[in-house]
Amino acid sequence: MNDDQLNELFRAARTSRPDTSRAEYGFETRLLAAIREVRNQPTPWATVAWRLMPVFAAIVVVTGAWSYNVQSQMAAEATLGTGDEAAFAGLFGGE
Amino acid sequence: MSAQIDEPTDQRLIQSTLAGDDEAFATLVARHKRKIFGIAARFARNDAELQDICQEIFVKAYLKLKSFRGEAPFEHWLSRIAVRSCYDFLRATRHDRENVPLDGIELGTQPSGNAEHARELLQWAMNRISDDQRLVITLLELEERSVRETAELTGWSESNVKVRAFRARQALKRILETSHER
Repeated sequence: MNDDQLNELFRAARTSRPDTSRAEYGFETRLLAAIREVRNQPTPWATVAWRLMPVFAAIVVVTGAWSYNVQSQMAAEATLGTGDEAAFAGLFGGE
Repeated sequence: MSAQIDEPTDQRLIQSTLAGDDEAFATLVARHKRKIFGIAARFARNDAELQDICQEIFVKAYLKLKSFRGEAPFEHWLSRIAVRSCYDFLRATRHDRENVPLDGIELGTQPSGNAEHARELLQWAMNRISDDQRLVITLLELEERSVRETAELTGWSESNVKVRAFRARQALKRILETSHER
């Protein structure tokens, strides 16, 4: 089969447009019923999870910031502790 | 005074639908259903499938209506949903379609002599090419869309559409030749 024959087949198929009138009849009524059904369905968990995504993201950021603060404080206290020991050792002759 | 009553625009109907007026959406559907049924009919095998596909298209459109920004005409936006839904349908029913026999479709006759026969023969052959190739050929050759329109509807690049179309034509020629030899 060459390109011309294939193009001829396409041309012929184009002229035969399927009759959709039977399927179209009363379509709006059935569609609105389907939409009402979809609207009344409970929200799926996946959708809820996606909607809550900003909340989860905020929790992660707050937890991260809090964790970073705590670690910084602990590090500062540890540094301070070492400094104190050195100061005591200097004052009292370091036993 | 003119008795002519202006029909509401698509934009007005969309706003009314978003405000909770289902009848406005029904009017919108009635206005555009012929085109959508025309697209879907190229992929469905019977009325039941056609109704299922079209229902899915319009339910999706209803659920996504908030995201319609009016940058392009509503019909274009709806056509994109239709094409994607048809593609999903092709993928979901691929296995069933491949097993359809060639019974009742005569080969070797002049396709131009019988448009219905040409359509059936082409549909049989298109069941044997990949889903993306079928989608591209349907839009380009049967719906007579341009490469640019096809690219917009499918979300593929224009060069990608051209490559797929070329491969689809090669595959169709091969399939039709093989079936003709049998």
